Amino acid sequence: MALVLTDEVSLPLRVIRDLKSEGLNEEEAVVITQCGSLGGKLSFGDAFFGTVFVLLSKIDNLTDQWVSEISRVLKPGAQVLLQTLLLPDNQAKPSSQIERKLLISGFVDVQSTDGSQSVLVKGKKASWSTGSSFPLKKTAKVLPKIQLSDESDLIDEDSLLSEEDLKKPELPLVGDCEVGSTRKACKNCTCGRAEAEQKVEKLQLTAEQISNPQSACGNCGLGDAFRCGGCPYKGLPPFKLGEKVSFGGDFLAADI
Amino acid sequence: MEGKKKRLLVLYASQTGNAMDVAERVGREAERGGCPSVEVQSMDHFDPNTLPSESTVIFVVSTTGQGDPPDTMKVFWRFLLKRNLGSSWLEGLHYAVFGLGDSGYQKYNFAAKKLDKRLQDLGAKPIIEKGLGDDQHPSGYEGALDPWLMSLWKTLNHVNSTILPEMSEILHPSMNKLEHPKFKIMYHASSEVVQHDTHISDLKDMKNMIERARSMSPSLHGHDHGEPHYLLKMVTNKQLSKGDDGRDVRQFVLEPLASVVEYQVGDVLEVLPGQNPAFVDAFIKRCKLDPDSYITIEPWSGERDAMDSYVNGSSDHPIQLRTFVSRAMDVASASPRRYFFEVMSYYASAEHEKEKLQFFASPEGRDDLYQYNQKEHRTVLEVLEDFPSVELPFEWLVQLVPPLKKRLFSISSSPLAHPNQVHLTVSVVSTMTPLKRRRYGLCSSWLASLDPNKNEEVLVPSWIHRGTLPPPPPMLPLILIGPGTGCAPFRAYIEERAMQNLVESTAPILFFFGCRNRDSDFLYQDFWLAHSSDDGILSEEKGGGFYVAFSREQERKVYVQHKIREQSARVWGLLNAGAAIYLAGSSTKMPADVTEALEEVVAKESGVSREAAARWLKTLEKAGRFNIETWS
Repeated sequence: MALVLTDEVSLPLRVIRDLKSEGLNEEEAVVITQCGSLGGKLSFGDAFFGTVFVLLSKIDNLTDQWVSEISRVLKPGAQVLLQTLLLPDNQAKPSSQIERKLLISGFVDVQSTDGSQSVLVKGKKASWSTGSSFPLKKTAKVLPKIQLSDESDLIDEDSLLSEEDLKKPELPLVGDCEVGSTRKACKNCTCGRAEAEQKVEKLQLTAEQISNPQSACGNCGLGDAFRCGGCPYKGLPPFKLGEKVSFGGDFLAADI
Repeated sequence: MEGKKKRLLVLYASQTGNAMDVAERVGREAERGGCPSVEVQSMDHFDPNTLPSESTVIFVVSTTGQGDPPDTMKVFWRFLLKRNLGSSWLEGLHYAVFGLGDSGYQKYNFAAKKLDKRLQDLGAKPIIEKGLGDDQHPSGYEGALDPWLMSLWKTLNHVNSTILPEMSEILHPSMNKLEHPKFKIMYHASSEVVQHDTHISDLKDMKNMIERARSMSPSLHGHDHGEPHYLLKMVTNKQLSKGDDGRDVRQFVLEPLASVVEYQVGDVLEVLPGQNPAFVDAFIKRCKLDPDSYITIEPWSGERDAMDSYVNGSSDHPIQLRTFVSRAMDVASASPRRYFFEVMSYYASAEHEKEKLQFFASPEGRDDLYQYNQKEHRTVLEVLEDFPSVELPFEWLVQLVPPLKKRLFSISSSPLAHPNQVHLTVSVVSTMTPLKRRRYGLCSSWLASLDPNKNEEVLVPSWIHRGTLPPPPPMLPLILIGPGTGCAPFRAYIEERAMQNLVESTAPILFFFGCRNRDSDFLYQDFWLAHSSDDGILSEEKGGGFYVAFSREQERKVYVQHKIREQSARVWGLLNAGAAIYLAGSSTKMPADVTEALEEVVAKESGVSREAAARWLKTLEKAGRFNIETWS
């Protein structure tokens, strides 16, 4: 399936027949004239056409948007041919202008032929779809250059670090296995710490302990600073012995 | 040592106040040891040109999660890196370095390590080996500080016994001699006070009052930024996360009342949180203060020296005590430091309280203090309530209560899409302490409590600052990586580029997002999907892409770095076309994991070695094309 696209109002059949020499099969061709009125969009799906012919009266009508539309409707590996009429007051080398636009949009194998009356530019859509990986030539193991602002008046601070410094730091060893300190019992604890921790957690407060708190050691009501590791009242605000314990936590939380 | 200053100088670079606290302790112990001249200074108030004229300097420096020095060290450090300083520039300088860091990070204490080496290379002599404080230690950085400090004093004393003539006070502190506070409070009769100091009639007055209250606070050390730029009203407070796993992520929309808010994408909003009035009142009552009195704060001796130069002009405008507490003193969120407990012990009338406080302040009690105070996120109010016999004079409270700090948030809107509005995407911070107490972040929970329909008068004092991430030009291809609330600045970038795309051609964007699962915390789901379909700027058709890692939707964890590896060709394609990488988020390990994945992508797609890929990415970073912004 081929597409013939032109910004002209009409296209003589002779032109279509001439394109046969470039591979146009007129039995399966779509012709669009006055393409300038389409707003840069074609109503065909991606990778629809096997070839696209573009006949331009004005090079400026070939916008970046058109080039990417053309690329979109082309099958991977398929060809685009652009022909433009040379007008007497044309700037030099319109072909290079067209070539550049094709290259920027990812076309490959771009070549042009400059005739006396017109120029013909051909290009192929890349035969990989965007996003897939492909091996670069083995010789090109070079990374893109990066522009750095000049800071040569400062030394490289990373050179101040030793081999030792760059290694992953070791977490500090914790010698003691005391219940209540920051380290918890290991999963396969053999020293008995896990049992001890279990005991501490199981000390739930009974209703009696909340409404009429007593303290054998005398310290439970004084607040966390004075409570021992096994105290059932740990975490609660200070209270008076015999008076109901308040759960100050709510008071201290934000009012959300 | 001719021409050298005969003093002990302590220079610190602090990010959150810990290094400053350590530096002040070093200075205090030196004074107790009878050192004739001690000076404690922040690095950004010190002229590095004068460093060669010092004889003895102790450096205290923090390292941030990404291995960087604190902001206050940047200029000083840059100066020290100059090639032309020469290897004898610091000849005759004796120094020691103590670093604060976290061994959970690869770049552990990098700032301190580099500083120590550079000082030596410049000709300075270390008094003792560098000390490295570690947050991973059971008692935090103090675990390393106590022995290091003792070693420092002993060595100094051994080398030159005139530096610390009262060395015994350091070795065996008698604990019955407290130095005087650094400041004194002047009380002013209300008749003295000018009308406009008492009455807030409009927004201008409120901004002015906030500035006056905070500039009077010595703990804010002149690092504050003057009047708020804006007083913003909360117009939308919407929960973005669903589900009951406890995560509460909000979208806040803020608008100025009577002005126009100007900002650009990538900027940050700095917010001064309000404190719950009940807590402020409870504090004032507990400390037996008169909320309606008018105060000014003066240096203790009335003389101006370098340390006190930030307390300026305060006697002109007395401020109401309650206002000062509310705007400048953090009474119900931040934890006090060891020195607070030490001073408290002098003012405890109950014997058991005095003993406990002395114990907490001693090296033996250090771990217990860490458990009681830091691990439990004890607030000043809680500590005062746990030690009811302590009556601290207001002078000490002003010096020792942590200052109320402002918080920074990445702005998640583009002014092109939302003129005169500032959007924030905020996770309400919530932690469970070892004793099963739930603590909420002060600022995030305060903002979350503001109901647009109710709180007519509650305004958010705000400042706009340029962010660390510069706004990208429209034709710059972008690779954005922002899991969780890290997506906040990128919502702004994408909104902006979508608007720009309406009038000019723009380069594609690849965006990698991550969350737990699509039903609970897929923040801004509709927004990303809208832009990744219909030829939107995140669509594959346009050369871009939107990829989400749902970490908990399958057996194994899937994170953004896995998605980056999956899209390795696309990532490389854009990098090759000159793309810039922006990474943002709150996770501690994510930046390192993502950098690793990017190194793999570069190596795989271009055929170079991992080392070469890593070096290339480092160069990209130096060139400003690989930007990382993380927050805790």
